[in-house]
Amino acid sequence: MDWLEQELREALNRKDPAPDFAERVRGSLHAPKHRPAHAVEAFRSGLVLRTFGHWPVAARSWLATAAAIVITAGAGGMGYRQHRGEVARQQVMQAFRIAGSSLNHIQTQVREVRR
Amino acid sequence: MRAHQSMVFSLAYHFLRDRESAEEVAQEVFLSLHRNLGAIQSPAHAAFWLRKVTVQRAFDEGRRRKRRPQVALEDIAEPAAAVDRGDPLLGETLRRLVATLAGAPRMVMILRYQEDLDPMEIAELLDMPVATVKSHLQRSLALLRGKLERRGLGER
Repeated sequence: MDWLEQELREALNRKDPAPDFAERVRGSLHAPKHRPAHAVEAFRSGLVLRTFGHWPVAARSWLATAAAIVITAGAGGMGYRQHRGEVARQQVMQAFRIAGSSLNHIQTQVREVRR
Repeated sequence: MRAHQSMVFSLAYHFLRDRESAEEVAQEVFLSLHRNLGAIQSPAHAAFWLRKVTVQRAFDEGRRRKRRPQVALEDIAEPAAAVDRGDPLLGETLRRLVATLAGAPRMVMILRYQEDLDPMEIAELLDMPVATVKSHLQRSLALLRGKLERRGLGER
């Protein structure tokens, strides 16, 4: 085995998770099972059909269109929020890069002063 | 569980380079183990099973993060200070370089150097031919050596 493989063995050694990891896993084992979302459950149980099934076809079409518009608008809002999040992330990254470069500059100067 | 938790967590951590995601993957793996305890035949089989499921979950999480890229704190660029052989930063440099490898070769390297598995065992875990495993190892080592040399960290 050469030096690189030895260094890789040291670099990729096993690490421990957080001290409370085992406790959290045990907690998850005893947690109640995830229930399906209320809307899905309602749909599965036929509640939607029982509620709107007797409506005239035209009314049901309007209801479906309105629901589609609401969902589309909601998705658009979510997309906008994701975009804002991405912009914020880029700004933080830029700040880290600037801080990193300043630190590097200072380290270079300190090294020169020591010489 | 305690006997295997560092193995499971580290496989996911070295692959994903993010503690939080690695703990989530590890948690899922142990919950899955709990659901499949009846299928485990021996301690050796448990270790094999845990490695295999961890590898699959880590790949899944990696693909999910690729679709929605995230930047872990561990991956934020540090000041480019000079690094010497034997410097504690060399380990970090190597981990970063391993993280730049594509999914399959990265996992091959982690299984080889974290878990000390031989190519045959890695091939069995990853369902790939032994020759492919050996080829991934050789190419990855050559790639890392080249990158380290360009940074002035090659063998002296």
